[in-house]
Amino acid sequence: METLEQLAGADDGTDAPVADPMGRPPGTTRRRIQLVLAVLLAAGLAYWSFVEPKIFTTVLTVLVAVGLTAAMWIAANLLFDQVRNRWVRFSVLAFGGLGALYGIVLHGNRTTVGSGEGFLTWVIGPLAGALAFGAIAGGLALTDDPARRRAIALGGSVAIGVATALLIRSEYQPEFDVTATIVYTLVGIVLGTALSLLRKRPLVGGALTGGAIGWIVGAWGGAELGGGSFVTTLIACLVPAVLIGVRLGMSSNPGYAARVQIDDNSRAVIFVGPAVLFIAVMLVIPAIRTFYLSLYDQDSVEFVGIDNYESVFTNKTSFDGTNWTNMFTSIPFVIGVILLAIAAVVAVAMKKQTGRALELGNATGAPLVVGILLVCFGAFTALRGTLINNLWWVVTVTFLSTALGLAVAVLADNRGGERAAKSLIFMPMAISLVGASIIWRFVYAARDTNSDQTGILNSIWISIGQLSTGSGLPSLLATAVIFLALVLAMAFLAKALVARRWSAAVMPGVMTILIGWLFIRFAGIIGGGMGGFKITESGEIVPSTVLFVQESPYNNFWLMIILIWIQVGFSMVILSAAIKAVPTELIEAAKIDGATDSQVFWRVTLPQIGTTIGVVVTTLVVLVMKVFDIVKVVTNGNFGTQVLANNMYDEAFKFANRGLGAALAMIIFFSVLPVMYYNIRKMRREA
Amino acid sequence: MAVTAPVLPDSEPTRRPTPGEVMGSGTRRGPSAVDRVYGFVRAIPTGVLWLIVIVWSIPTLGLFVNSFRSRDAQRGSGWWLIRPDDLTIENYDTIFGARNGLGNSLLNSAAIALPATIIPIGFAAFAAYGFAWIDFRGRKPLFIGTVALLAIPLQVALIPLLQLYVSGAKFTIPGIDKTITIIPDLDLAGTTTATWLTHIGFAMPFAIFLLHNYISGLPKDLFEAARIDGATHFTIFWRLVLPLSVPALASFAIFQFLWTWNDYLVANTMIGANVRAQPTTVLIANLAGDFGKNEHLLPAAAFVQAFIPLMVFFALQRYFVRGILAGSVKG
Repeated sequence: METLEQLAGADDGTDAPVADPMGRPPGTTRRRIQLVLAVLLAAGLAYWSFVEPKIFTTVLTVLVAVGLTAAMWIAANLLFDQVRNRWVRFSVLAFGGLGALYGIVLHGNRTTVGSGEGFLTWVIGPLAGALAFGAIAGGLALTDDPARRRAIALGGSVAIGVATALLIRSEYQPEFDVTATIVYTLVGIVLGTALSLLRKRPLVGGALTGGAIGWIVGAWGGAELGGGSFVTTLIACLVPAVLIGVRLGMSSNPGYAARVQIDDNSRAVIFVGPAVLFIAVMLVIPAIRTFYLSLYDQDSVEFVGIDNYESVFTNKTSFDGTNWTNMFTSIPFVIGVILLAIAAVVAVAMKKQTGRALELGNATGAPLVVGILLVCFGAFTALRGTLINNLWWVVTVTFLSTALGLAVAVLADNRGGERAAKSLIFMPMAISLVGASIIWRFVYAARDTNSDQTGILNSIWISIGQLSTGSGLPSLLATAVIFLALVLAMAFLAKALVARRWSAAVMPGVMTILIGWLFIRFAGIIGGGMGGFKITESGEIVPSTVLFVQESPYNNFWLMIILIWIQVGFSMVILSAAIKAVPTELIEAAKIDGATDSQVFWRVTLPQIGTTIGVVVTTLVVLVMKVFDIVKVVTNGNFGTQVLANNMYDEAFKFANRGLGAALAMIIFFSVLPVMYYNIRKMRREA
Repeated sequence: MAVTAPVLPDSEPTRRPTPGEVMGSGTRRGPSAVDRVYGFVRAIPTGVLWLIVIVWSIPTLGLFVNSFRSRDAQRGSGWWLIRPDDLTIENYDTIFGARNGLGNSLLNSAAIALPATIIPIGFAAFAAYGFAWIDFRGRKPLFIGTVALLAIPLQVALIPLLQLYVSGAKFTIPGIDKTITIIPDLDLAGTTTATWLTHIGFAMPFAIFLLHNYISGLPKDLFEAARIDGATHFTIFWRLVLPLSVPALASFAIFQFLWTWNDYLVANTMIGANVRAQPTTVLIANLAGDFGKNEHLLPAAAFVQAFIPLMVFFALQRYFVRGILAGSVKG
């Protein structure tokens, strides 16, 4: 926790308001400003809610929800505050509450004599129930004599059973369904016993409770209501009443230690229960049901086994490998292979020089990583389909966001204007994915080449084309600048080579190749120039746009850029905080030992932030796996950009194929399971 | 960009300008042409940084400028060729003036984001305290299970939840073919209520995780002293933990507000075609869907949509950053 606060504090340059139990919060002026702002905000909201009925409803909903939650929660806490020292009061209140619930259910549903539409219905039923249950609980709590307890429990319980049977209206009197009653009672007994076995409690108690519940379900749930007589109703009521009475009579008042136990356990339920209930209802049960739905057909009627999954994996739109040979002719693949070859050569040299072919920060790394990435790119452009697209998204966005985020974090570290720069790069995080998609749609816009371009990328691209193919002074100047840069890179390369510092030669070497290629293309030595132009049949040079959104397969990459634009800020913030948390002593020690800045970064800083990089990567993988908004807004899955989440949305909510939609959702879920497993293992180790 | 990305961290530390520090062997030989070039190269990282910043800001800037240009200006030339007499606020007029337009959807966004932000705070704080400071059986597995759900894709819950809002939940007792209604049909389909209810459920694991990180880090002595004085968990939570956790609660609230305000998937699924309940994101996505016709309104709409989160972001950035950090960095 301390590290966390340090991280947060280090990032914004002020001390984090670490809770100070003694008062005197830091930054009182800031606090006051915040307070004033909060009051203004509240006042604005209040005013707004009077002007706009929608906001009024919203504010009212929030107030009622929060108020009710707080009231119920506080009431539960106050009730269980009595457990330790006021057992009688606690039992009467707790059982009274149960009785009130019993009364509400019976009387409120108009199943009992005397219930009606009136307000009294909601008073008499609960009150009677509360009094009856409370009386039994009070009697039990006041005596420790086993015989007397048995008498009170059985007597009271039977009395309630008989009273209920008497009060049930004739149209609710159940028929007696012997089989259902017996079957459910037996099931209840077995379950109750098993539960007691698990909780290491006396088995009879569990069997009795289970039997009672089973009897109620069987006798009331299984039978036709209204077809019975008073006798059948009495049977349906009395048997569970006796069972519960016997069960209650067996118990004894808990001693102080047991009461402490009850207190603690109840707190756990009161504190953790509501949230767990929310998670169960909103996440866990729906997820299980989705799995169930995925095994059925589109209307969830017929069981089809794994057919839905099979159709996803065999469908041409999910995976299309017919043109896989295109991979070998794609430009990224070729460049990637060349880079891998360079990496191999460098690895041999490094092995000779340092004894290790590959380690953090040595010269093999850069060409190796970029080479692998480009080869993957080549593969992804040749293999098509939804699954491949998702994989492509995950690899590209995760890698580039993390790498760029790390780069920016390092670049900005302790540099002038650090906060401003980081704020601006972080800003897209606050913009919705829909908004970001709109923003980038305008960046990617391509218009008829007869008119001006409104998209900045195409505009630049066409300008480069004009510069490259033109012959005026600007063209010459641009060529000269690139040539100069090439010479510079070559000079650095030569310097490093002469000094025989191979590791220092790799960077200038790569730059030489890149700038050299740029020069060759720009000067028109290969392909007649670069940029947005094409040569017509009559030999005329006309501008030509890139259709960023429509041209498959690279349109996928342009969509990924949008998410990268957003997520770089995320990884930058986290990695920047991690870098600042690296102990200065470590870095100082390394420097005293003569390490260069580069060595400090690769050998000290990077290993120190390794786990944080892991966190960033796993978070991004999960996030990218379910990418939806961008694809939906920009292409809606057209032009070969379909991804799993959008496919799932279409199938489930547009084409009403629930089975297939559920299967696609489950596939997204299964693909993040490894990450979940990794997270759980990490938590286990830390907790 | 693909090529330079992994290169930057490599090249940067070696060339970092360190005032007053003598760098490299070259400097000892006295100033030369090579050194002057080195000095130029040393400035590259700063240049690269600000270049990235500019590249990162340009798309948003373009949107902002375009939102003030008329339809013809937007279609005729790039936003960087802006002329003062192009400027107009008619786009804003149009989107706010339309029936069920942006004004209505802003209200809907608020009607989703406010409850979805405020209501879960209490539940999550209770649970976070319970997991951190109440000793009960099965605490660790339950907590790990909860936090594992951080990574669960929302998609797996959407279909059943929509069914729930459309028709309630029913359960058929096996053997005796009798259907019990567990949750009645509350007629929530296509409402903002369905959307924020869903958001609350989905936010719970993250909220518990974030608050637990904070609350479990409060000094242990505090709790022991309070317990010796006879305080119950309720009192400790109410009097001690809640006031101390305000920064963490604020972090979560900002995070959740931005998340729910910017959400598209849940809102689109739960509200769908009901234009009267559409939040801003759904409205804008639909606007973007009918190609061409209303494209000139998009910048203005997108800018208004982004304005509120951006304000929240710039005003309360430190809390937001802390939320992100607490959610990701541990130990």
